[in-house]
Amino acid sequence: MKLLLIEDGKQLAESIAEYLATEGYHCEIASNLEDALAKVTLHDYDCVLLDITLPDGNGLTVLERLKKDGKMEGVIIISAKDSLDDRIKGLKLGADDYLPKPFHLSELGARVEAVIRRNKFQGSSKITFKELTIDAQAQLVSVNDNTLQLTRKEYNLLLFLVANKGRIISKTSIAEHLSGDMADMLDNHTFVYAHIKNLKKKLSDSGCGDYVKTIYGFGYQWEA
Amino acid sequence: MRKKLLDKTLRVYILFSLMVLVVSAPLFYFLADKLFIDDADEALLLRKNEFISNNLHSLMPADIPVWNKFNRDIKIEEIRAGGIRDSIFYRFYLDTLANENEPYRVLQSPVKIGTKSYVFMARINLVESEDMIKGIALLFIAILATLLIGLYFITKRLSKRLWKPFYSTLEQVEQFELDKNTKSDFPSTDIEEFGRLNQSVIKLLERNVMIYKSQKEFIENASHELQTPLAAFQVKLDTLAQQLPFTSELGKTLSDLNDSVSRLNRINRNLLLLSRIENNQYTTLEEIRIDEILKKQIDFFTEQAEENNISIHLKYAEPCIKRANPTLLEIGVSNLLLNAVRHNQNNGQIVISLYQHTLSISNTGAAAVLQEEKLFQRFSQSGITGGSGLGLSIVKKISDLHGWQLAYKFEGEMHIFLLSF
Repeated sequence: MKLLLIEDGKQLAESIAEYLATEGYHCEIASNLEDALAKVTLHDYDCVLLDITLPDGNGLTVLERLKKDGKMEGVIIISAKDSLDDRIKGLKLGADDYLPKPFHLSELGARVEAVIRRNKFQGSSKITFKELTIDAQAQLVSVNDNTLQLTRKEYNLLLFLVANKGRIISKTSIAEHLSGDMADMLDNHTFVYAHIKNLKKKLSDSGCGDYVKTIYGFGYQWEA
Repeated sequence: MRKKLLDKTLRVYILFSLMVLVVSAPLFYFLADKLFIDDADEALLLRKNEFISNNLHSLMPADIPVWNKFNRDIKIEEIRAGGIRDSIFYRFYLDTLANENEPYRVLQSPVKIGTKSYVFMARINLVESEDMIKGIALLFIAILATLLIGLYFITKRLSKRLWKPFYSTLEQVEQFELDKNTKSDFPSTDIEEFGRLNQSVIKLLERNVMIYKSQKEFIENASHELQTPLAAFQVKLDTLAQQLPFTSELGKTLSDLNDSVSRLNRINRNLLLLSRIENNQYTTLEEIRIDEILKKQIDFFTEQAEENNISIHLKYAEPCIKRANPTLLEIGVSNLLLNAVRHNQNNGQIVISLYQHTLSISNTGAAAVLQEEKLFQRFSQSGITGGSGLGLSIVKKISDLHGWQLAYKFEGEMHIFLLSF
């Protein structure tokens, strides 16, 4: 899987690329608009991470170019300019997702995964992990072909954990992921514990192995 | 108590006029009286001299009763007792027609008619003089009153016209609001002082607007600039968590760091939101069902509240449609709810009711009345509870923007926030 990260913050770009590399993606970095435009015309990427504010112009130009060239890349806008206008404009131009800065890498990872899954398999792909199967389109979870009854939050939590499998995820990032637009309103992250507990119980009741490891004081990990 | 400028000048004028009236009226009365008496005395002396030169030598003692009979005001009487000297004095005589005592000015002088000594008495009625003095005094008062009334109206009119540019300037300054982009328009004036006043006020206002604008821009730019390093910080933290051999102490430290970044983030976003509201970036209004937004937000916060054993009661919510900005309305309602959760106590409760014109959210909590004026200020009570310190000031801004009222009270051990649409 090839990704293009268009981001002018060097430190941020390197960290993101490093993280995504451990997820098994090959990540290229473009730190300005000129570079980015050259790269998207020459190569095909599975997913483009796009910062709007670039030193030499507006990142949305890249989106326009991609659209003109008829390329099918999934585009996630990562922007410090969290304005409604940009969000609407970006999504209108064909971006798949919009992630305001700052964000958790686990959140970014999950979104990249979701975008690629949607684009590559038109959303019909099934995520399987040992005895566990997640049908992302039907939003159904089954263990050994037995369908599980999960709440919406439990389902999102499972998907998030599995998308970041092998990785330590902080309580904060889980809480923010589950709360979506309301993440700013979070006062404490203890509710994550209750959801994890319920999810673990449902999984083990249906005969699924216990893959959720508690990282004491910090968060959780889906053991790969 | 403060008085109006016009009233103050008029008051001084009136006071002065009254003082002149009070001092001059008795003075005038005595002067007029004295003049009249002097006049009367002179007339009496003249009569005496005329009598001595015209009548005295031809008058016989036998003529005296006849003289007295026909002369009402000049009488010749026999000396009854003691020596009589020339003198002028006041005396009252009974007026038989009016049957009352009337004041007279009387001159008496010893005369010799034949061999016998008589006393010559001449008198002048002073009733007429009193009437005249009264008349003059009345006239005097009338003139003064006219002068006063004239002065009052002229001053009033003149001052009004003179001070008109001043009042116009005053009104403009009063209506001026720093955060509304109103253009002040001062009328031109041909009075130098007012011209200078207008110039200074315009300069002052423009300077304030400029400072205010640059401050707003500064906050927005600062928040923007902070976002990139914050993002890098957040990402580095996440990377760090993957690289370490994890111990529980480290986990705790990292978790605390995460919370701090989260809080920084919230403060930053809220600052950005505040400056965006102030920069009028949320101007589109829609018809919104407030009850639906409220219910949606309550769903979210119920989970949060349960963590602290807080129960949320939606006591009453009637369908309510208001014109508002959807983004801001959601933020406002959720900030109020968050506030009610955050400042609550264990096993506390939140009571919410929505009527056509009011939304009230009350919560249990520390049993102390909060200072309303400080409550809605930025960062006035952050730090203690881990909030951004901006939540309520954002609610206030949102309510101001929509022309709503936000009030706080402490009643029955509950902190009550009232939003009136």
